Amino acid sequence: MSAPILWIVLPFLTGGLILVLFGEKYSSYAGGMLSAILALTAVFIPIDTALLIGSISLKISPAVEVFGRSFQLNTTDAPLLAMIYGVSALWFFGAEASGKTLRFAPLGLIIVSLLTASIAVEPFLYAALFLAMATMLAVPMLVPLYQKPGRGTVRFIIYQIFAMPFILFSGWMLAGVEANPGNLASTLQAGLMLSMGFAFLFGIFPLYHWIPKLMEETSPYAASFLLWAFPTFTIIFALGFLDRYTWLRNTPQISNVILSSGIIMTATAGFFGAFQRHLGRTLAYAAIAETGLLLAAISLRSVDFLSIVFLILISRGVELSTWALAISVIKQKAYLLKFSDVQGLARKYPVATGALIFAHLSTTGFPLLGGFPPRLALWQELSSASPIAMLWIFLGMAGILISAIRSLATLVMADEDAKWEWNETWAQTAMLVIGTFGLILLGILPQVLQPFLRGLPALFEHLAQ
Amino acid sequence: MLILITCLLLFLTAAGLLVLRVVQPNARYTWLVASGGAALAFISMFFWLPQNPSALTLPSWRPLSLFPTPILFAINGVSWALALSISALTLAILLTAVTRSVVSNSLSWAGILALSGVGILAVTANNPLTLLLIWAFIDITELVIQLSSVDGEKNNEQVVVSFSTRVLGMLFILWAFIQNFSGSGVFSFETMPSGAGIYLVMAAGLRLGILPLHLPYGAGSSLRRRFGTGLRLIGAISTLGMLGHATITPSEFTPFLLFFVSAAGLYGGWMWLRAPDELTARPYWLIGMAALAVTSALNENPVGAAAWGSAMLLTGGALFLSSVRNIRLSRAMLIGVWSLSAFPFSLTGSAWAGGFHFTTPFMLIVQALLMAGMTRHTLRNNGNETLEDQPGWAKVAYPAGITTLLVVQIILGFVGWEGALQTQSWLQAIIAAILTAGLVWGSRRLRIFNPVRAHWVSAASGSVNNIYQWLWSMYRGLARLSLTVTNAFEGEGGMMWSLLFLILFISFVMQGN
Repeated sequence: MSAPILWIVLPFLTGGLILVLFGEKYSSYAGGMLSAILALTAVFIPIDTALLIGSISLKISPAVEVFGRSFQLNTTDAPLLAMIYGVSALWFFGAEASGKTLRFAPLGLIIVSLLTASIAVEPFLYAALFLAMATMLAVPMLVPLYQKPGRGTVRFIIYQIFAMPFILFSGWMLAGVEANPGNLASTLQAGLMLSMGFAFLFGIFPLYHWIPKLMEETSPYAASFLLWAFPTFTIIFALGFLDRYTWLRNTPQISNVILSSGIIMTATAGFFGAFQRHLGRTLAYAAIAETGLLLAAISLRSVDFLSIVFLILISRGVELSTWALAISVIKQKAYLLKFSDVQGLARKYPVATGALIFAHLSTTGFPLLGGFPPRLALWQELSSASPIAMLWIFLGMAGILISAIRSLATLVMADEDAKWEWNETWAQTAMLVIGTFGLILLGILPQVLQPFLRGLPALFEHLAQ
Repeated sequence: MLILITCLLLFLTAAGLLVLRVVQPNARYTWLVASGGAALAFISMFFWLPQNPSALTLPSWRPLSLFPTPILFAINGVSWALALSISALTLAILLTAVTRSVVSNSLSWAGILALSGVGILAVTANNPLTLLLIWAFIDITELVIQLSSVDGEKNNEQVVVSFSTRVLGMLFILWAFIQNFSGSGVFSFETMPSGAGIYLVMAAGLRLGILPLHLPYGAGSSLRRRFGTGLRLIGAISTLGMLGHATITPSEFTPFLLFFVSAAGLYGGWMWLRAPDELTARPYWLIGMAALAVTSALNENPVGAAAWGSAMLLTGGALFLSSVRNIRLSRAMLIGVWSLSAFPFSLTGSAWAGGFHFTTPFMLIVQALLMAGMTRHTLRNNGNETLEDQPGWAKVAYPAGITTLLVVQIILGFVGWEGALQTQSWLQAIIAAILTAGLVWGSRRLRIFNPVRAHWVSAASGSVNNIYQWLWSMYRGLARLSLTVTNAFEGEGGMMWSLLFLILFISFVMQGN
């Protein structure tokens, strides 16, 4: 057994089988179970180390070759795999509770496996191809059969696919830059190509306007899953670039551009988010702001910046899954999710409302919740690197906080005679409560992530130094 | 460690009440369990004294390089006095609850015990990180309780507005905290840099409703006597406790802040004096007392801030909890007026130790208004409950609750804490006493001092309302701008606009290089 087969091929094939054989309900359980097992395997079974179970020797080899290309998942990848499949399990289990999620679990499993392939493939530039394939597979998840895709979906595909040629070109040019570092013109061109590629992948301002549109016109659960999965793997992909190319790592201008992009994303998302009147769109802007935070974190040149990046990624996974599930539950009653439609629904869906507000507050860095420790750490690092950046990010977060308070006010403003009810199912309640407790746990005791955080920076040997 | 013991006593009792509610909903001894837990917590406070000062540091977040600031609680004179006040109030609430039925109230008793535990953690919190975590807990708890107890669009909206102002206050503390990262890093309130003090005052002002002037709680909220009193007073003291720990260095903003705080104090005091009953007047009591505490803090007198905070809790608590018509008890409660007088050996003896300032005359008027109002509300106690049909022990328990608060006021006035025993501010105390006498005399004879209907700040003060209207119109203007931009980017030509902006951004970056 090799690690790529276990964490890429197995979920890919299982996803396909589930798609063909299972109904909606059981596919969520199957997808969730498989993801949980893969996460636990990553935690407990070391890669490339022989394990003796009685007389049987078990060893997961790290690499497999396909058409001359190699897929490698080493021991250092184990915490990352555990994180990815652990959070995926949360998404897949929640899918059943969220109601109408079109082929979510099987396609989600295939997408996650393709994205995992993107971090395993060598030469690593092929990652762009896997990202593009995952993008295309997301379409059937977002758009029902025989339905015309909306503007948000179309732009999502266009922008994600647009990124691929830029990344591939930049990879080709970067090889030249490595060979001839004194050639400033080619360095600049390579840097520009790379920036364009990542600008499309991350959806840097103003390329992120497909995200709110997507949240408005498709299933919020599926769209939120993509908002978790794609930026997570794109960040790891980007860190891979920084790790491999010394000049990228050591050029202060590159750091400045990344920081500026992050600040602009966070600040503008905070500004636009503060005025939204749609629950899905508020989530979209919070997710955009959080991607901006990730960019600000990777621009740092401190020893601990990788820990900050992974702290944000983990809390983001819990936040978005809980928030998306809560919105999906509310959507069953108020399909359009506009503020005028959801007003006073806190009395009908108290658990969903509570989970939604907790998740939203967490993205703002509200103390006691999962988003707070990583933001605190980020502000600490930025305070010495760039106080102005710290201020703008603070303001961006304040904008997201305003949208959280507006959402809260809308949801609780019920009529005089409205009674408290409990319309969530047991499954929905359980998943929402688990998500909320997860956020509180991460907010009070972020050290529970320490076993993961300790191992994750080893993924990037140069950046971790 | 002693902090944890006291808090654990409160939390475990609360948990015990919840278990009893499920297992034996009609158990007669539920009240005894609640009062017993509160009494033990109150007694445990006196065991803090031999270990004063001391600190409790919880295990730090990991990795340490990212989270160098520990979660830190400290026992010192100020935190002890405030924690003692909280535990006394909790005991009093439960002792005076003897007249209520067990079934309908055990949940709120559990709530008040838990809130008290968190309140003690808040007043002992010794750095902004710890305080932020405790405040967040209190705010979320309060939000949930308030939302579950009010009906109607307007009331729910008011609860969210109140929550948002407290969160805004938290943002100021957070800003003070993260601004200091570039400096010394790890810090407690005592070692805080001078520039951060102003943020603490802003935070306290926002959370207490004095900067800018607003009512954080509606006077018409359904949470009335016991649980409501605990919730409001403990919530307020958890904010004021911070001002008792930090010395605020004057800055160029200090005169402006003092002016606004004085205005809020005068408003709160005036409304307190004229309010029809003490529960309707409760929000104004909080505003008036908070204004006095913040003024002390701004005058570099943190001990004075703590004294006003303690007086707010103890004297206010005794008045608001008093629901039984009892002439002797009402007269005994005039001890509260003494506690507010700022005379030497009174609870607020250190209140004017900061010296004279341009706002001192106004704040003396505020003090007099509050004292006169306290006299009026105490003597006109129109409690509607009776102890006639209660057993003998209940007839003792009820006055014991009120008496606890009065005794603690006297003890703190005499024993006090480090820096609390001051004798040099007798002049201010005499002026305030004369003004109070005049106001009490006038309130019986002059129409202007007669009670008026309770009304909201927005209806009362046009200028404040104008500021809110201006902010609201600015918000709507920005919303229109935001809508225009998002419509452009998400519309048919959105991709072209996006690419245009991207090219501009790249040109800008290239120019920078």
